Amino acid sequence: MSIEIISIIVLFVSFFTLLLLKVPVAYSIGIATTLSLLLNIDKLPGLTTIAQRMTTGIDSFALLAIPFFILAGDIMKRGGIANRLINFAKSLVASLPGGLAYVNILASMLFGAISGSALAAASAIGSIMTDRMEEEGYPRTLSASVNITSSTTGLLIPPSNILIVYALASGGTASVAALFIAGYLPGILLGFAIMGYVAFIAISKGYAKGKRATFSEIWMYFRKAFFSLLLLVIVVGGIVAGIFTATEASVIAVLYAAILSLAYGDMKIKDFSGVLLSSAKTTAVVMFLICTSMAMSWLFSFEGIPEMISVFLLESLNNKFAIFLAINLILLIIGTFMDMTPAVLIFTPIFLPVVTTLGMDPVHFGIVIVLNLCIGICTPPVGTLLFVGSGVAKVSVTQVIKPLLPFLAIMVAVLMLISFIPEISMFLPRLFDL
Amino acid sequence: MSKVDLIFNRVSRILEVFMIVIFALLVLDVLFQVFSRYLLGTSFTWTEEFARFALIWMTILGAAYLNGKKEHLSMDFLYQKFSETNKRKASILIEVLIFLFALIVMVIGGLNLVYTTLHLEQLSGTLRIPLGYVYAIMPFSGFLIMCFSIYHISNFLKNKNIE
Amino acid sequence: KEETGTKVLYLGHTLPQTHPVHKGILEFQKALEQKSNGTLKVKIFPDAQLGSEREVLELLQIGSVAATKVSAATLSNFVPEYHILGIPYLFRDKDHQFEVLEGEIGKSILQKGSKFWLRGLCYYDAGSRSFYTSQKAIRTPEDLKGLKIRVMNNQMAINMVNSMGGSATPLAYGELYTAIQQGVVDGAENNPPSFVSSNHYEISKYYTLDQHSSVPDVLLIGTKFWDKLSEEEKVWVQEAADESAQAQKKFWNESVEESMKIAREAGVEIIIPDKSLFAEKSKSVVEEFVKEFPEMEPIVNQIKNK
Ligand code: NA
Ligand code: NA
Repeated sequence: MSIEIISIIVLFVSFFTLLLLKVPVAYSIGIATTLSLLLNIDKLPGLTTIAQRMTTGIDSFALLAIPFFILAGDIMKRGGIANRLINFAKSLVASLPGGLAYVNILASMLFGAISGSALAAASAIGSIMTDRMEEEGYPRTLSASVNITSSTTGLLIPPSNILIVYALASGGTASVAALFIAGYLPGILLGFAIMGYVAFIAISKGYAKGKRATFSEIWMYFRKAFFSLLLLVIVVGGIVAGIFTATEASVIAVLYAAILSLAYGDMKIKDFSGVLLSSAKTTAVVMFLICTSMAMSWLFSFEGIPEMISVFLLESLNNKFAIFLAINLILLIIGTFMDMTPAVLIFTPIFLPVVTTLGMDPVHFGIVIVLNLCIGICTPPVGTLLFVGSGVAKVSVTQVIKPLLPFLAIMVAVLMLISFIPEISMFLPRLFDL
Repeated sequence: MSKVDLIFNRVSRILEVFMIVIFALLVLDVLFQVFSRYLLGTSFTWTEEFARFALIWMTILGAAYLNGKKEHLSMDFLYQKFSETNKRKASILIEVLIFLFALIVMVIGGLNLVYTTLHLEQLSGTLRIPLGYVYAIMPFSGFLIMCFSIYHISNFLKNKNIE
Repeated sequence: KEETGTKVLYLGHTLPQTHPVHKGILEFQKALEQKSNGTLKVKIFPDAQLGSEREVLELLQIGSVAATKVSAATLSNFVPEYHILGIPYLFRDKDHQFEVLEGEIGKSILQKGSKFWLRGLCYYDAGSRSFYTSQKAIRTPEDLKGLKIRVMNNQMAINMVNSMGGSATPLAYGELYTAIQQGVVDGAENNPPSFVSSNHYEISKYYTLDQHSSVPDVLLIGTKFWDKLSEEEKVWVQEAADESAQAQKKFWNESVEESMKIAREAGVEIIIPDKSLFAEKSKSVVEEFVKEFPEMEPIVNQIKNK
């Protein structure tokens, strides 16, 4: 067996063993990388290289957008923004059959869109909506399923940290601005698809309709939510219009959210150190994962793994459709037990060269990989969003799985549409010439 | 509370302050960059480099802090099925592995990185500070992580505080 | 990494495989494998697979990567003597440039790197850098006033653009296309092959051939790897590098011609300005430089008088 094959086996076997042992993911990646690299390079240079990759891997101005969007999201989570968005969503859709479920979906979409975090959306909206929905006869497990899956739309609708991570992993072939714009239609499509399934349940189970809101009521709730929604326009509009880069937009989002929450009285100046600390912790979790993942993806390049997999896929499948399908399937499996950030960092450099050879746009693939892994964070055994969503709904993970399954099927269907119809993702970026 | 616990709490608190301060500086730095470009019409070349270095420090120092609090992301679906004794054994093993990674990669590899870049007088592009100073956070945090791991292991051995 | 009797030289660089400098590196690979009868192999990692220029230079010093090709501009943060090669209007023309680079001065600069564990092997032609702008044409230095021009994150490049009246904006190369397109910057500066291979010509109306600097690319080997080679192998490596440098100059010229043709056909207006106006403005950069590195003033004068 060649040294390359041995080091790949060492890498994957040790990585998964460590993961199963509950070694933190970042360390599992780091330790597996170290073991594998030491088979290839002398000890001290090898260790030093890993230390260097861990530091230079996050030495990027573009990555700064991640802590800033996290901070902006944390500031917004503290205040009454969730309530304002729920009330606005309610005035729009509550009168449909199964109205409250729509409210949940739309509010999760809006909150996810603004905060860029599916977890923030699921916890902020889920904690309020589950009780209200139960009062109208919705099982808590169903509410949790709706809330969990619809929160993933926030990862596609900009701003989105995972798309920034993908831009980094793509080696600059996909710009953050183009990815942000590309995420709109797929995100909205996913939201509508979930709404479609809810309509089916609501009609067959006869869930209550709400009162139709008058236009003046809609206008009132819109006004109350206006400044929260305006953030979306400032951030994304600013990036697309070229007023600032994605990183600069993220710091503007922090400033805006801070001013807004001070103005609404949701926060006081002295609360900021607490928010900074909790955001710094979240940042450290994500960014340290990026550190060791960058070391691992360097090892991949050094051993020529992306090339090997690409040659293997291209030669053995020899059919564009089959290869896209195979990649989707591999990602779906990876997503069930791996968190999103490391999965994007590790598998983008492997699959991107394959799909671009087949003529796929790197921006399109970014949307596909993110949506694919959105499904993964909703599934056991490792599904951060599933855990958080079940947690705020106060139901156990195992109870949620059954009502969740059809929603996951909907997501897979949307994934297939988005994979094979590039226009859904690429229409807007082309329109804006990005 | 033992003296060791007191030291642990003190160190964690200091790290918290550092993370808050670095994060606040980051926000101010990038805001300054945006506003200087639009309001003053000039770009200062150091703001970007400062931001990048501050992010490295906040991340790697933050990683050490998370080790102290055991707040790194991990997957416990198999671990949950372990018996209490096995959970304790696994927890000790995890800390030993983290200790070794911190020692071998972060401290030894990191120190060699710092030594190499300082010895070769490599300076950053615009701030002109030795890059070795930026990299120094790696062995420093590695050392902290090793201390935290020893602290956690000693607690496991005393059979308290399994999670 | 050693297989039975063969040594593998890992070489990482940041350029795409279509780039004329990559073709030069392929010549190096071919020549070295031929001279060594296959006992010295070169494994090339293009497209920044092993990291940015600065990162790979560090890996050479660390000893995990054997060789690389970087711009002399990046190298100057490691080996100060390379700053000299970034001075605007240092060379009168290409003949002058390569007479200097391939003569004693150029060789002595390559040697200077050994102190920093980065041994220079040869220079590759990277042509001359000129301004390109999306909306406003630059015909004289006055036209630069108020324009945000993207430069490499390098003090000399920043000073140069500012001295000519522009507003230097250091920005990552990967972000540049969108930045030009969206008007975050008004333009940038580069040589014709990069202007075209980056697709920046699609969004730039003007290319002003002021040729303000001719920073060459440098092929380097880490001394950690070099010191492990036998005397015979060292000769092979150096010879292969020298041969590749000669071949690369041809690739470069072809690529410049080809690129200018593509740009012209895409409707980019090529402006040939009076270079002396730009040279005059940039004189302060040289003065500032010799103030910071007085020990290099004799070399600068030597080059200019050659
Ligand atoms: Na979002
Ligand atoms: Na999962």
